[in-house]
Formats: sequence, structure tokens, C-alpha cells
Amino acid sequence: MGGVYLESRLEFLRQTQNLDGGWGYFPGKQSWFEPTAYAMLALQDAPGSEKALNLAWGLTRSWQCSDGSFRPCGHVTDGTWVTALAINLSCVRGVYDDNLHRAVSWMLSVVGAEHGLAMRAASRLHLLETKLDVSHEGWPWRDGNASWIEPTVHTLVALKKVAAHYPGAELADRVRDGEALVWSRRCADGGWNCGNPNVFDLDLPSYPETTGLALLGLQGRSPQQLAGPLEVAQRFRAETKSSLAKAWLAIALRCYGQSVDAPADAARTSNDILLAALEALAHPDGNHRFFQTPGGLA
Amino acid sequence: MNRRKFIGLGGAAVAGTYIGMKLQRPPKLSDGPAGQSPVAILRARSYSDDLVTRMLEGIRECGLDVRGKRVLLKPNLVEFDPQTVINTDATVIAAAVETFHKLGASEVLIGEGPGHRRDTLDMADDAKYRVTIPKFESIFTDLNRDDVSPVRGFAGEPEFYFANTVLAADLIVSLAKMKTHHWAGATLSMKNLFGLVPGSVYGWPKNKLHYIGISESIVALNRTFRNTFAIVDGIVGMEGNGPIQGTPKPAGVLVMGRDLVAVDATCCRIMGIDPEKVTYMRMAAELGHVHPARIDQRGETVASVRNNFDLMPEYRQLRLA
Repeated sequence: MGGVYLESRLEFLRQTQNLDGGWGYFPGKQSWFEPTAYAMLALQDAPGSEKALNLAWGLTRSWQCSDGSFRPCGHVTDGTWVTALAINLSCVRGVYDDNLHRAVSWMLSVVGAEHGLAMRAASRLHLLETKLDVSHEGWPWRDGNASWIEPTVHTLVALKKVAAHYPGAELADRVRDGEALVWSRRCADGGWNCGNPNVFDLDLPSYPETTGLALLGLQGRSPQQLAGPLEVAQRFRAETKSSLAKAWLAIALRCYGQSVDAPADAARTSNDILLAALEALAHPDGNHRFFQTPGGLA
Repeated sequence: MNRRKFIGLGGAAVAGTYIGMKLQRPPKLSDGPAGQSPVAILRARSYSDDLVTRMLEGIRECGLDVRGKRVLLKPNLVEFDPQTVINTDATVIAAAVETFHKLGASEVLIGEGPGHRRDTLDMADDAKYRVTIPKFESIFTDLNRDDVSPVRGFAGEPEFYFANTVLAADLIVSLAKMKTHHWAGATLSMKNLFGLVPGSVYGWPKNKLHYIGISESIVALNRTFRNTFAIVDGIVGMEGNGPIQGTPKPAGVLVMGRDLVAVDATCCRIMGIDPEKVTYMRMAAELGHVHPARIDQRGETVASVRNNFDLMPEYRQLRLA
């Protein structure tokens, strides 16, 4: 399966796993939740990976805080947006236990701080020097901060995947509102940047990688709504030279069933573990389906 | 209730980013530390000038000894737009690498943690860092994805995390770009230290700093990291709607010094900005010198190189008389 391109990346991941079971952003570095999660998703179901995956799973579970959130690495004491990745991982492994329930509850308790009462009042009084719509909650990188595209999108994917196992209307409401936030942050050029489309009445440009990510969060919207963004994503995919952006765009477009040129069978040259995992996931034979949320909730 | 307090009550800060700080009550200007701070202004009309010689001259004027030290160069790599000049020019960084090696540094590294984009090396490619700076990839660390360790007491936080490459450096050289800034007035060597904060912990953007307050964060970073030196790339700066959407402004200077407050105050005056009206400069005056009488100007005089940068209407009150 996958040829040289995919196998070289999976082998790189196998060789760079730390003794504690996690992966750093680069070989030999501290284990972090983010590259560990993507490496686990990339290696899931790959022959001979079970032991490595179990070791990694044990490490990520040890990073759960008492409030249900997950820490971004063993050296950081408080939980962050990576809790969304933990939920996704748990769904992929079919583990729907109390730990998962507490993680979901934590994510549902977190709201982008710009949604606070004072900010909404300031927005109504036109005191904000931005066109930002603060009526939506979304999700921040860290609790207590404002919401941004990437953490919001990962949370949308996670909540849509776990929805069937988490009863109650709150989750569906947050998903709908989160999708609305993503729409509200769309840039004038049709794509998305990190979540700030306009400053001082001046439009800011979108980025290719965050455009791919935004599309992941909008799965389930109508084809008419998504036609424009998908077109922008295809254009970015053809134009960008960023390997990271290419990977996220390919993952997103494949999740929508769109055709994406298969990468050339190139052996790896970079030592970037997160990138290797995303490139493996983005491959036609890779596990991009783990970001797929058929139907969504909207 | 002033606007800053209003933001705090709201706990919001896309707002720390989005609501201007211009209505803040300016803090009292401190006299700063004892003595004077040398700041060197060197003319460099273009990036093809002999920048190594200029830097050697400026560093000598400022009395910096780097022998045996592990030096971390911190450029300003933000985004890339071929229509303007957002980032520290690659030739300035390459010259700094050569300069600090010539001066006997045991190691010269480059580190940056951009605030918006995650593909740092792609941006470095766009900014021609990889093709211009010898062995770039072997000496560069993406500070957003480096290993981290906690520091206690940063901006009143019980723990705040920084990249280990930063914490291990004997000297951090802020290789800033001379730019106007649509939230802070100007971004120079002090604000450039935002890039020391890891995105892996604080996100893209590093929104935590906005909640602490942009000015407060600038001061806290400069209070935490005292082992610093500044080289500001003012050969071609940015005016107007900086730090990303402004227009190129040739100023033809490199500005250097050990006191980053004094360096930035000098840059402001070159740009036609009154540093005493810039909130974070006033707040940082306890760390270094803002008043011109306390700055020992070496090389060119401010008057001889002053070149007013265009300011957004919101910041025209900062114009130096």
C-alpha cells in the first residue's frame, strides 16, 4: 500500500518514536501531544504498529488533567486545544469511557473570550476596530483567550465524531455555532487565515493551510455553500509550495471526495515529524478518513 | 473606566489585538537606570553594502564582548508579501552570523517563532533565508516547536513557557525590522521578542500575550531577558499600516545597542515618532533609557538620518515635534 511516499513517512514515524511512547516535533526532542496524535492517526491500522500505538496511547492518557483537558506536553501543567485531538484519537480507537466524557465536557465548557458580555456590548456600540462577529463562541488555543480557526476546527471535528456517544443538545448547539463562527471569519478572498479577516476596515488575506483546516470543520454543509471554498482550496493546493499547507489541503479535499493529485513517490528529506505524519495522512492510501465527519450535524 | 480596563472586564482580546491602546492613560516616565546607554547609528544605503563592517563598527562602539558566548539571533520573520518588506532582510541576518563568529562567539544560532503562520521554513524560503544564510537549516530553530521549560513570575503568571534554545542562550540579539505597528505604534527590537514565545503552548497567534496586554507583554519579555543586544534593520523599513500591510520606507540605517529601550527610542526618533508618547516605551523606561540626554549616541546623529515614517491617522499624535 502507498508506495515509497507513504511507506517512507510511516517508517520515519516508527523510527522517531520516543522511549516514552510519544513523538516530538523533531527527532530526539520532547514528546508533544500534537505530533504524537498525528503520528498515531497516520500509523493506525498500519501493519506492525500496534505496540507503538499502545505505548503512545498510554502516554497521551497520562496527560489528561483533573478537569478533563489534555496538556500539550508533559512539561506543561494546564490543558489546551489539544484536548480536541485527544477526543478524535479516542474515537478512532473506539474508547468511549469516562476520560473521554470528561474531555468532551471540558471542551464544551470552553468559550472564546471575545464572546464575553462586555465584548458583545462593545461590538453593538461599534467600539471594536474590527468587523469581527463576536456573537459566536468558538474555541481558543487556551482557555481564557479568544477563538481562532484552527482550535475551533479541530474541536468541531472531534465533537461531530463523538456526538453519538455524548447525549444532550448542548454539543449539537455548540457545533452549529462553531460552524457559524468559521463562516463569519472567512476572508474577503474566499479562504481563511488564522481567524482574523479584517483589521481597521482593511481585509487581510487567507492562508492555504487554514483554508484546508476550515473546510474540515464545515463538513456536512450544503454543496452550494461549500463550492466556493472548495474552489479556493483547489487553487491554493495548486499554487502553494508549503508542504504543510499542501498536506492539510489534501486531507480536507479528500474528506470531501475531491480529486487531488497523488504526490510523487519521493523519499523523505525533511526531519519534521508533524509534517511527515500529515503527509502520510494526506496520501490517497493514508488515514485522512480520521478527519472525516460524514454528514456533520448542521 | 478606560478602554483597557473595559477590555479586561470583558476578558476579551481578539480585543487585546483589536481595540486600540491609544486611550490608555500614559504611565509616568521613569528616569531609568543610572548612567547612559550607548546606541550606534550606522548608515547603510542598501543591502549590498558591507554590512559586516558596519556591524563590527557598531558593536565595538557599544562595547559588547561576545567571546565564548552562545549567541541566538532573533530576526523578525512574520509573513511574506513580495510587495512589501515585512521581515528582517536575509542579508542582515547573514551579516550578523558572520559578525558574531568574527567576534569570537562560541556558537551563533538563529531562532524565530512566527505569530501567524505555522510553516516557518516555508516563510524562511520565501524571505530567501535559506539561500542567503549559509547552513541556515543547521543553525535555525523554529521556536514555536522547540522543547520548552517554565519560567516563574513572567507578567504575574505562575509559570510561563519559553523555548529551551532561548533559555540556553548567553546572548539574544534582536534583529528587528524598523516598522510602524497598527496596535503598538512602532515595532522594533523590544516587540520583536514576542517571537520567543512558543506557539506550541500559546497558539498561532500567541493570544495569551494580547490578554496580558501588548505593552505589558513587551515589557515583561524585556524584563525577563536581560542578556540582549539589538540590531535594527532600518535599511528599508515599513511605514503606514505596519507591521504587515505597510509600505517600504528606505531609511538607510542600522541601529545597535545593548539597551533595547534606548535603541528603540532612537529608532522612534529616526522615524519621526516621539518615543515618550508610545505606551510601551514609557512603561519600559524603568529598564532602559528613553530620554535623549541619557542616550550616548554614537556614529550618526539622529538629526542627520531622521526620515519621518508615514503614520496611520490613529497614531499621528505620536509624531515627534
